Amino acid sequence: MATIIDINEEKALEVKDFEFTYASADAPSIKKLNMPIAKNSITALIGPSGCGKTTLLRSFNRIHDLYPGNKYEGEILFKDRNILTAQEDLINLRIQIGMIFQKPTAFPMSIYDNVAYGLRLQGIKNKTELNDRVEKALKSAAIWKEVKDRLKHDANGLSGGQQQRLCIARAIAVEPEVLLFDEPTSALDPISTAGIEELIVELKERVSIIIVTHNMQQAARVSDYTGFMYLGELIELGRTEELFVTPKEKLTEEYITGKFG
Amino acid sequence: MNIFIDKFFANTTKLIAIAILLIVAWIFTVLFQHSMDSIQAFGFDFITDTKWAPNLEKFGALPAIYGSVVSTFLAMVLAVPLAIGVAIFLSELAPAKLKSPVGVSIELLAAIPSVIYGMWGLFYFVPIIRDIFGGVGISMLTAGIVLSIMILPFMAAVTRDAMNTTPDILKESAYALGGTKWDVIKDIIIPYAKAGIIGSFILALGRAIGETMAVTFVMGNVHKISADLTQPATSIPVTLANEFTEADTDFYYSSLFELSLLLLVISFTIISIAKFYFLRRKRIA
Repeated sequence: MATIIDINEEKALEVKDFEFTYASADAPSIKKLNMPIAKNSITALIGPSGCGKTTLLRSFNRIHDLYPGNKYEGEILFKDRNILTAQEDLINLRIQIGMIFQKPTAFPMSIYDNVAYGLRLQGIKNKTELNDRVEKALKSAAIWKEVKDRLKHDANGLSGGQQQRLCIARAIAVEPEVLLFDEPTSALDPISTAGIEELIVELKERVSIIIVTHNMQQAARVSDYTGFMYLGELIELGRTEELFVTPKEKLTEEYITGKFG
Repeated sequence: MNIFIDKFFANTTKLIAIAILLIVAWIFTVLFQHSMDSIQAFGFDFITDTKWAPNLEKFGALPAIYGSVVSTFLAMVLAVPLAIGVAIFLSELAPAKLKSPVGVSIELLAAIPSVIYGMWGLFYFVPIIRDIFGGVGISMLTAGIVLSIMILPFMAAVTRDAMNTTPDILKESAYALGGTKWDVIKDIIIPYAKAGIIGSFILALGRAIGETMAVTFVMGNVHKISADLTQPATSIPVTLANEFTEADTDFYYSSLFELSLLLLVISFTIISIAKFYFLRRKRIA
C-alpha cells in the first residue's frame, strides 16, 4: 500500500524490512519498514506524534542500545553491511553517523572543549591538529565569528541558537558521513531556526542528512526527499516537491492538508 | 487585600530567615561568654599548648584539635572514593533490579543513629583493628574508619541523586559522538553533577568534624598527639562528651566551653573554605 519511489542516486543508507520494539511494549513501534536514504541529500521524516519517526532516526546510530531490552529486526545497510548485528562496533558507527538533538546539548565545558570532545575521544591529542579541526568545524557551522574570541568560555553562556550551532560544529568535527537531526529547531526562535535550516542545506555537500521534523514547512524548505510516517509505517516516500504538491497516498494528502495531525 | 497577604507572607518569611542569623549569633555569644575565664587566663596558648591536665589546672587544646582534624581527614579520604564509586554504580551501571534495593538500603544506613555506629565500632571493629594493626584497638584509625562508614551512605545517596539529575539528552549526545560509558561518566555526568557532589561532601565533612557519639566509643579520650594512628587520641567532641560531668573548677568548665567555641570556629572555617573553593564557579543549570 505504501508508495516508495526508487532512488537512482547512490544510497547512504538502506532500511530493509525493519522492525523495532521497545523493551516495555508488546507490539513493534515500527513495522516492516523499507526505505532508501539518498547520499549527499536531505531526507525529511514527517508524521504525527507517535508515528515512529524519531524511533526510526534513533535506530540509525543505535542510540536505543543505551536502554536495555529494545529489539531490532530486519536490516539497515550502511556501507554494505547490516548495522543491526550484535558484532557492530557502536562507537565506530556513532562516529560515522552523528546526531543533533531536539534541544541544544552543550556539555559542561568550554566552547573549544565541546567541539574538540569527539576528536579527543578518538585519541587526537596534537594541539595544532585539534586547533585546525575545531576552527574548521566552527566555521562550517557558521558560528566561528561569534565565538572565536571566547573559545575558553563556558559553552552554556551561549544563546540557544548558538548552542545548537555549536552542537552541529561538534558533530561535524569528527567528519561523519551521515548526520541525524532530531527536530533540531523545536526549542529555537524563528531567526535561529532560519540560521540552522540554512546551515543544514549547506552541509549536504559533505554529509547525508536525515531530519525529523514536526514542521511541514521546514521539511518543504530544506529537504530533497520526504518520508511520511504513520502508526509505525512509512506511508509514502517521494521527492519533496512532488510529495507536497501531488501526494500519491490519501493519508499523506490528509496529513499535509491538515485534516489530522 | 491580596497585596496585604503578599506583604504579610514576605515579612513572615523574612523574620524567620533573620531568626536563623540571630540564633547563630546567640550561640556564639553564649559560648564566648562562658569561655571568657579561659580565654583571659590562657590566651593564645590554649590553642598551641599540648598539655591537658585538669588536676594541675593546665588546659591545652592542641591534641583535641589535632584529633578532630585528623580523624575527619581520615574519614573523608576513606569515604570520598567509595561514595563516588557507589554513586556511579547506582546511577549508571547497576541493572534495574539492583538499583532500587541497594539504593534503599543505603538510605536506611544513612538513617542509623550515630550511637549505634559507635557501639558497633567498639564491640566489633576495635578487636579487628587490634588484631591487624596492634595497639589497644581504640585509636585514631578506628575513629576515622567508623566515621567514614558513618558518612559514606549519606554521601553516596546525595551524590547518586546529583548524578541522576544529568539530563538523558546530554548523556546521549556524548554517546552519539562515540563516547564509552566511562567517557560519559567522567566527562559529562561528574562535571554536570559537580556542585551537588561537592555539596554532599561538605555536609558530610561538617557532620564528621562535629560527630560525638560514634567516635567517643572508639577514640579513647587521651590528650596526646601521636603520629601513630593506632594510638588512642581525642577530639573536641569526645573531650566535651567525656569531661563535662567532671568539670569541677571554673577554669575546667570555661576551658571546655572554649573548646566548643573552637569546634564551632573550625567547622565554620572549613565549610566556608570548602564552599568558596569548590563552588565558586557558577553552577551550570
